[in-house]
Amino acid sequence: MAKISNSFVPKDTIIEELNPMTKILAVFSLGLGTLIFPNSWLGLIIIIGLFFVAYLAKTLKDFTKIMFGFGIPITVMLMFIQGCYSPKNVTIIAEFGFLQVGLEGVLYAFKIISTLLVFLGTFYIMNKTTYTGKLVAALTNSGLPPKAGYLVLASLNVVPQMQRRMEVIQEAQGARGVEIGGGIIARIKAYIPLLGPVVMSALTDAQERGMTLETRGFGITGVKQTSYVEVTQSNLDRILKAILILFFIIVVILTVLMKLNII
Amino acid sequence: MKIELRNMRYVYPTGDEALKGIDLLIEGIEPVAIIGQNGAGKTTLVKHFNGILRPTSGEVLINGENIQNCSTAQWSKEVGYIFQNPDDQLFLESVRKEFEFGPLQIGMSKEEIEERMKWVATLVGLSDKLDIHPFDLTSTEKKFCSIGAIIMMNPNAMIFDEPTCGQDVDGNLRLRKIINELKERGKLCITISHDMKFVVDNFKRVIVMWKGKVLLDEKAENVFSQVETLKKSFVSPPPITKVAQGAGLRKTVFTTEAFIKVFEEQRMV
Repeated sequence: MAKISNSFVPKDTIIEELNPMTKILAVFSLGLGTLIFPNSWLGLIIIIGLFFVAYLAKTLKDFTKIMFGFGIPITVMLMFIQGCYSPKNVTIIAEFGFLQVGLEGVLYAFKIISTLLVFLGTFYIMNKTTYTGKLVAALTNSGLPPKAGYLVLASLNVVPQMQRRMEVIQEAQGARGVEIGGGIIARIKAYIPLLGPVVMSALTDAQERGMTLETRGFGITGVKQTSYVEVTQSNLDRILKAILILFFIIVVILTVLMKLNII
Repeated sequence: MKIELRNMRYVYPTGDEALKGIDLLIEGIEPVAIIGQNGAGKTTLVKHFNGILRPTSGEVLINGENIQNCSTAQWSKEVGYIFQNPDDQLFLESVRKEFEFGPLQIGMSKEEIEERMKWVATLVGLSDKLDIHPFDLTSTEKKFCSIGAIIMMNPNAMIFDEPTCGQDVDGNLRLRKIINELKERGKLCITISHDMKFVVDNFKRVIVMWKGKVLLDEKAENVFSQVETLKKSFVSPPPITKVAQGAGLRKTVFTTEAFIKVFEEQRMV
């Protein structure tokens, strides 16, 4: 049978060893930190740092692809909208015919872009380096109800599952004379008949999985459930968590001070 | 019909080498069965016969033409492929539409579709269910619906991936009828199966796959007489054959009648 890799591929890296909760904390601490910080320098530094983390996690190539693939179009778009049409524009830095580019708008665009990229990058690295089972086990260990945990697991798993189904169904339709390669129009035309079986089978799968879970005692009440997946917390995790929390607190303090014009 | 494989290898994107150099020639219309343990590479192998998968190295030739030259959709006129799970294949709102879909894709005329529809519907036993939604069919009927949809396209070779899976006795008999009738019409059937009784009842030629290689490719009698080699591939002969082997019969038998006959003969001597 064809094996199609899940979003997580074990690579034995330091990032992979980390406790999933540390990574979640990193997503929020870095992301929210960038969001509240008044200018975009912090975001820029974090993004550069993320490239280094991606290198440590051995996903630098894919990471670069996604950062630029998302970053460049969104930058162009926001620069145009905010730079040219932001109501905050006072200082004009460039003129192209009828267009005037304002400094305030450009800075604001940078701010949004850096925040988006920090969230995207941290989440991407977390997703790529964390086995979903481990993530959910870590979440349930820290107090998330197992049912909600399953919800997270199921929604994270449904994408690769649907991709796999899509591939098989595509093959099956190809074998029935549907041209699946070729130009964009041919592709779109070929996709429409595929949607039916993909959605239908996803629904029946979900129902069947629900029944299977019931027969395996998932809905049982009054029992403390244990997890097969062991989630460990190393010293590195503790240090990183402390640093991340400290980072966020410092960012908050700095922001407040900057807003009050103290520094 | 001629399917030829020359030192064909296939490596999945994950790096697993599923097929490790296959040389194979399937010619004519004599039905062929492919057997072997799960993961031996059976499905991967047959997916090359209509270009769903393309060889990593080596060649696949259909009637002398390289598989790489055309898309799967183009090959579907020549080689039909029935997937293991009918749900992957069926998506229209009635059996009739399913039957029409493939032929329309390859540009078959309305008259020809009409004409084939009658024959195919009877053959697969869905004559009175042509206007039913495929999802309302039983799982057996669904399977026959997907088989019918491919036969409708009139390919010269047909590949069945585990057609016996989940079938009852009637289903197996119908499959047998389909295979025979296709042979009469000059079509080649290639079937993957785990049901050894079904294999020996319907196929003279048997290919045994093992760890991405062709382990045996011979007449059914010869294949099932090689007990030691079969053990290696975790294939076990049909019960009656095993009994005969255990009882020390000199010939390989597949039916009770054959068993009695050979047993009588041996007792006479």
